[in-house]
Amino acid sequence: MSSKRFFAVVMALAMALTMLAGCGGGNEPAPAPAPAPAPAPSGDGGSAPADPTPADVSGNVLIYTSMYEDIIEAIKPELKKAFPNLNVEFFYGGTGTLQTKVAAEIETGKLSCDMLMVAEPAYSLELKEGGWLEPYVTSAADGLAFDYDKEGYWYPVRICNMVLAYNPELKSKEEVPNSFYDFAYNEAVKGKISMSNPLTSGTAMAAVTALKDKYGYEYFEALGKQNVMVESGGVACTKLETGECDVIMILEESILKKREEDDSALEVIYPTDGTIVIPSTIMTIADGKNANNNIAACQAITDWFLSNEGQKNIVAGWMHSVVSGYPEPPYDAIPTSEILKNTMPVNWENCFRQRDEIRTKFQESVTIPESK
Amino acid sequence: MAAVTAVKSPDTGPAVKEKRFYLDIKWVVILAIVAFLLIFEVLPMLYLVVRAFTADGGVSIHAFQRVYTYPMNWTALRNTVVTATCSMFLGVLIAFPLAWLVGRTNLYGKKFFRTLFVTTYMVPPYVGAMAWLRLLNPSVGTLNVFLKDLLHLAENPFNIYSVGGLVWVLTSFYYPYAFITISRAMEKMDPSLEEASKISGASPLKTLWTITLPMMAPSIVAAALLVFVSAGSCYGIPSIIGAPGQVHTVTTRIIDFVSIGNQEGLTDATTLAVFLMVIANVVLYVSNFVVGKKQYITVSGKSTRPNIVDLGRWRIAVTLLVVIFALIVVIIPFFSVAATSFTKNLGKPLLSFADGKLVTDNFVLRFWERVVTRESILNSALHSLVYAALSATIGIIISCVMAYLLQRTRVKFKSVPDFLITLGSGTPSVVIALGLIMTMSGRFGINIYNTMWIMIVAYLIKYLLMGMRTVVSAMSQIHPSLEEASLISGASWLRSFKDVTIPLIAPSVVAGWFLIFMPCFYELTMSTLLYSTYTKTLGIELFTYQTFHSQQTAAALATAILLLVIAANWLLNKLTKGEFSI
Repeated sequence: MSSKRFFAVVMALAMALTMLAGCGGGNEPAPAPAPAPAPAPSGDGGSAPADPTPADVSGNVLIYTSMYEDIIEAIKPELKKAFPNLNVEFFYGGTGTLQTKVAAEIETGKLSCDMLMVAEPAYSLELKEGGWLEPYVTSAADGLAFDYDKEGYWYPVRICNMVLAYNPELKSKEEVPNSFYDFAYNEAVKGKISMSNPLTSGTAMAAVTALKDKYGYEYFEALGKQNVMVESGGVACTKLETGECDVIMILEESILKKREEDDSALEVIYPTDGTIVIPSTIMTIADGKNANNNIAACQAITDWFLSNEGQKNIVAGWMHSVVSGYPEPPYDAIPTSEILKNTMPVNWENCFRQRDEIRTKFQESVTIPESK
Repeated sequence: MAAVTAVKSPDTGPAVKEKRFYLDIKWVVILAIVAFLLIFEVLPMLYLVVRAFTADGGVSIHAFQRVYTYPMNWTALRNTVVTATCSMFLGVLIAFPLAWLVGRTNLYGKKFFRTLFVTTYMVPPYVGAMAWLRLLNPSVGTLNVFLKDLLHLAENPFNIYSVGGLVWVLTSFYYPYAFITISRAMEKMDPSLEEASKISGASPLKTLWTITLPMMAPSIVAAALLVFVSAGSCYGIPSIIGAPGQVHTVTTRIIDFVSIGNQEGLTDATTLAVFLMVIANVVLYVSNFVVGKKQYITVSGKSTRPNIVDLGRWRIAVTLLVVIFALIVVIIPFFSVAATSFTKNLGKPLLSFADGKLVTDNFVLRFWERVVTRESILNSALHSLVYAALSATIGIIISCVMAYLLQRTRVKFKSVPDFLITLGSGTPSVVIALGLIMTMSGRFGINIYNTMWIMIVAYLIKYLLMGMRTVVSAMSQIHPSLEEASLISGASWLRSFKDVTIPLIAPSVVAGWFLIFMPCFYELTMSTLLYSTYTKTLGIELFTYQTFHSQQTAAALATAILLLVIAANWLLNKLTKGEFSI
């Protein structure tokens, strides 16, 4: 009797394997039903504004994003309120992870998402050049305080600021570098500084591009001599808390979040040689190359994020608004206008075109210096 | 098989039918395993290799030239070989005496220690790495500062951000692989040879050296191979321990290349990955050469109760040594992780005394609350549980069949699946994942991308070896005479496999199941690339919280996993009256 049972198990396994091998897409979730209104036609110079009423858009939209999960959780019900018939799903991942996922999906000729809210304009330039984006010219962009694609391929939707941070419980502000320059050249903090990896983080890539444009490649060599630790922001924050690091190069939002949620004492230093202001973009994947073929809904979502309603959620998520004259900054931050008075500009063309050169130099000087 | 049954004439006797039947089922099973491995492992890897050579359109070695002429990559290659080799030796050096002490001597608290050492296996390495980082960082590492004050040193004695630090953490997380493999075999060893040695007047130490050690050689080599391959293709630990100190390994380089997120990055990653594949193959051949030449049959049908070596006057001293080891390698790091999960500000002590009163400001339950209430974490936990259980179950069935195949048959190409399974384990996770994405999303008629199956397939390819080695090494020590007896008495192949072989290797099968289950349960690197909105797993949650959101939440989650595993182990032990435990 039981030998039969064993045989059944073995056969079930064999069958499972055969099924696996032959399933040919049978396991895929059923494709979403096409949205009720016909998708807006996509012309070359940007489609006509769809201007749908909220109830019109329906179906599914999947967004790849690098925004914190807490923020996504807060945004979801708001989107539901704005678009009751639309089912919006977010897929969270770090910038590097998402870019890898997208790169692998590009190989297959089709992306598994409908929109991207990840990384900085340089990435948008790359995707636009590759023909992966859907243009959409909208009046919602009129109030934007930051550069956007005039053909409508991408818009900035949130502002992340690369700053310095220190721990006032262990060091005074005077003791630690107050500028990006001192961060790399002040030997007093040698081995006690940390920053993100430009190979895996879009914002770090933007920051090192700006720093290289301002101080030259010597800046990278100085960072290497400082024994800067290259690691993720969460780890860096902990090291600042424990005193393992004296000062870290980090996104403003990470510190603000800790201050509000954990009553952390960690403090932001807006560098004297300029805050590196990094807009993060929103993009719609081109018609026929996206997951749910729901361009109309994507356009409505774009408009919503650029509206005051959408921006409110961005600011609640410790990022700055992209709309000029938006009334308040995130929790505990200085006003956006104050930050904009002293910035270190990022040349997005450089960030995209010289990317490989910058990354190689950074690796040679900082990640794995020759001597090691 | 169906055809054979169909043409069979009715007058064929039942005996003949029986015989044909078992020959056929063997082939079906072998072919199914080989087909699985060919489709889901060989095809993706070949695709990646072909892609590396043809990235620029035509056939070229351009990518190879670019990647392998770069000194940075050679540094990473050297670091990988050095750290994996050192961890392998150190791991076996730790695991063998521990396995012997726990399995064959009258050490105090044997059972407790056994569970304790295996427990390290149950903790996600990247969470453990975080604990070590906090204990031994060169500026304010807790243990460092403590030792400095204790020994009145001028500076902190250890720097975790170094090759040595990396070897230490890798060893402390991968020696359990060796411990599990070796102690399994040790429990199954026939003690009569040792008894003979003892009777002939050899000291326990001499017996250990001249009898136990040589008899254990195949298991030791298998264990060493496991540690080497795991340490060499590990990503979490080098990224947390090595990278800040500019010590990079092939895996961190590959992930860097992959994270670049463009086609050239993928090509470079693939090209570099070929190195790890080659290393895995070389190790495999060496181990086969060593193990293959010697056959030790050490379990017979007679006595299987190993004799216990009396440690005599050394008993207390040795136990003390083991306690110290356990404290340093297991208890302190785990305690550190658990304490983190309650700490609001990691820069301050969890609890402190001021004016004679206990200050609990820094003690919060918020992170635990988040773990048990946040929907996405609970969903991910459920996903992981299902995927890991499926992987482990399919994997252990394949392992049992493979063990039988390798140890009991003379089928011509039986080493082919064995080789492929080892190759899969030696391949860096990220390469498996990339290959699967590129080949299993419709290009070759199979589309399992964005489903749970692509993850289960990836887990199986990566972790099957753990289970297989455990079962094979158990099987290698059971004398075929027992099965022959069963066959002669008229039992079918399946029947004797079930009634004789399986019960003998059952503890190893259970251990093997857990060995596959646990790493799948918190797997990170492959899941990162393969998960979709509906198939998010615990590893991703853990790593995301660890690196981006909140290390305390990650610590709470890791502690919760650990507690669950300990509870499951205790229950298993209780229910089976001590026969089964991890």
